[in-house]
Amino acid sequence: MIKPPNIQRGKIYILLSILSWFALLFVDLVRIFGEINQMEGVINREITWILEIIFFILLYLFFNDSINKKENSNFLNLIWRAASTGLIATGTSFLIIYFYQILQDTRLSDDPLLRNFFYHVNFALTAIFLISTALLWKHLILYQKNKAVVQQWQAYEVILLISMFFVLINQESFNYGFMFGLIFLIIYGIILSVNLKWIPYLTFREKWKSILFLAIIVSCTIYLLVQLVSYTQKNVHFVNLSENLFLLGLFAFVLIYAVFSFLVTLFNLPTSSVFEQKLTEAISFQKLSQSIQPGENEDQVLDILMDSCMSAAYVDAAWLELHADEEDRRTGTVLYQKFISNAERQEIMGLLKKTEPFSGYLKSQTDARIEYLYGKIAHEIYQSVLIIPVRANKKILGDMFLLKEVKDGFNKEMINIISTFVGQTSISIENYRLLNQAIKNERYREELEIAQRVQRSLLPSALHHNKCFEIDGFSAAADEVGGDYYETFRFDKDNFALIIGDVSGKGTSAAFNMSQMKGVFHSLVQLNFSPKVFLSKANSALSRCLEKNNFITTTYYTVNTKEKVIHFARAGHCPTLYFDWKMGDSRFLDIKGMGLGIVRNDTFDQYLEEGTLVYHTGDVLVMYTDGIVEAKNAKGEEFGYENLRMLLGNFHELPAREIRLKIIEEVYSFVGKETLPDDDYSLLVIKFKA
Amino acid sequence: MLSINKASERDHLVIALNGEVDASNSVELDEVIQQAISENVAKILVDGRELEYISSAGLGVFMSYLEDFHEKEVAFVIFGLNEKILNVFHILGLDQLISIKNTREEAEKALYEA
Repeated sequence: MIKPPNIQRGKIYILLSILSWFALLFVDLVRIFGEINQMEGVINREITWILEIIFFILLYLFFNDSINKKENSNFLNLIWRAASTGLIATGTSFLIIYFYQILQDTRLSDDPLLRNFFYHVNFALTAIFLISTALLWKHLILYQKNKAVVQQWQAYEVILLISMFFVLINQESFNYGFMFGLIFLIIYGIILSVNLKWIPYLTFREKWKSILFLAIIVSCTIYLLVQLVSYTQKNVHFVNLSENLFLLGLFAFVLIYAVFSFLVTLFNLPTSSVFEQKLTEAISFQKLSQSIQPGENEDQVLDILMDSCMSAAYVDAAWLELHADEEDRRTGTVLYQKFISNAERQEIMGLLKKTEPFSGYLKSQTDARIEYLYGKIAHEIYQSVLIIPVRANKKILGDMFLLKEVKDGFNKEMINIISTFVGQTSISIENYRLLNQAIKNERYREELEIAQRVQRSLLPSALHHNKCFEIDGFSAAADEVGGDYYETFRFDKDNFALIIGDVSGKGTSAAFNMSQMKGVFHSLVQLNFSPKVFLSKANSALSRCLEKNNFITTTYYTVNTKEKVIHFARAGHCPTLYFDWKMGDSRFLDIKGMGLGIVRNDTFDQYLEEGTLVYHTGDVLVMYTDGIVEAKNAKGEEFGYENLRMLLGNFHELPAREIRLKIIEEVYSFVGKETLPDDDYSLLVIKFKA
Repeated sequence: MLSINKASERDHLVIALNGEVDASNSVELDEVIQQAISENVAKILVDGRELEYISSAGLGVFMSYLEDFHEKEVAFVIFGLNEKILNVFHILGLDQLISIKNTREEAEKALYEA
């Protein structure tokens, strides 16, 4: 199915309708010529009717096409189009009358053929006017259409089509059938004519214009009707084209709709300002709800708010005062001041501070849950005042003062709409702030991710060991970055150093201190000190760089796999758990110790003790941080030392990696999925094999 | 949640801790001790009977004033810690630096003898 382009179709219609009109004219003139010369039955009158019907249908198709193309044209244009067509038709009719007046006494004035020619011209223009106007009405009727209206209209089109052919069935004019059909068409026209939804959307000016145009249409329609009917009465030799149900039905419809529109528009005039007001309010609301773009200013929204409120309540003067706010530099400033001078504002402010109910609010400026304050003041110009606090994030951003010259100037509806505006503004501002915050947070998050990556790299990816022992480590931070630390060092093929540490606090500050600890470890470990000396030196170094209330707990071990000896010292760290294979039991290696950074002088080593341990094959050393033993479940119970000891007892036969996995699994299942870990977890398992 | 109550008794100040001291509220504890020091209180008694948990940040607060106590000769005694918290103090070695007593009587005795 290929549709021909629209323009071409329109041209074809107009060409065909002109042709059909000429055919109609020719046929009718021939008929009249025959009638005058008493030549019977030259051409049947049915041919006239059929040509007339064809003419109507073509016109209808043409206008339907051309009006649909201009779908977007406004109502006033549509009505003007109808009115101008009516004026042309009427004007032409006047010209014809004038022409006959010139011819008054000539023979030509009585010539029935000429008269009939003009009758056809008149008829054609009237038909054009009626059909085009009816289709314009269709456009208006179907404005904001629903299914029912569309169906009504479609039914009406079908009825009109049938009425065209009525003349073929019912050859006698104005009998009961004809009258019945006409009345039916009139009633249907009335039913359709109640669809006037377009009228409220006209502005006040547009309404006046449309009233004028509608008046033109009504008078043209009436004139053309009278004109056509008068032809019928005046002329003897005459082909009656107007006694057609379709034409009369259209007359009725065009007239009824025009009259209805005229009256409704007229009566809508006084209320049109209200409708316009509501429309402005809706637009204001939409403007306010459009979120402010990041980077733009909140002031813009406040400005829109002021304008919206002022136009909604016909406010005479207003200002907006922002409250003092530590974060904001515009403290206590008057942001917007409309139609009022500084002096006047200060004068009114003074008055308000003396007048209830405003004085209490203005003096205390508390975050009271006041939605608005409304009352009158004794001022020579302004009689009523409305104060509305503008809130954002539950804090009062500022107060909006609205003044009116009349007494009791604010009614419930106005206050309602203003409250809605203010509410919407709060939402807009809050959204704007949230968005800015979110963007900022996103940046922080990215930074933290970098920190996390860096910190991950501070923990060793591989742990030094030899064939004599297995080692496996695990560390998880509660926040993005954590303060747990472990590391190994290999002196030679038999000698190793191990360290585990926990920095006080958690998160970023802990992570920084942890990296210091790592530096201290790598500097000191190479000097191959005994554990006690190592920790003393570490304490001395860290005392110089840790903040006053920070400390680090750590345990340092040296392992000699040749002699199977472990030396260790504990600097305030959780006592190491040790499984003794020979005894078949595990215990905590609780020796005296003190956290690094707690005692920042030479006396530190007196709080330390060094332990020595000879290990055997199958022994297991478990180093951990307090996050593990202090891990809490939803009930607030701690995982505990005893639990850890029992677990090692159960799993000591497994390889180091398996033991580590089991313990971590147990800790996580103890904590439960719902609870977030609130401390860093680290675990290091060493299993001696030989 | 942490609530701190201060009360002056005879020559000493009693700081009663109720709840949990963690990184988020250790500042409150810090402020209380800071204030006591600036007011030249010579004897401070910490009532830890209602203390349920103390994190490393909380311990850091006590630790950070040890030197001040020493310099200004402030007698500082904690009493009534539950077993778990006592263990935390012990592991860290703070029990070697701070006088920790079981009961109020013992604590007051220690406070006035020192």
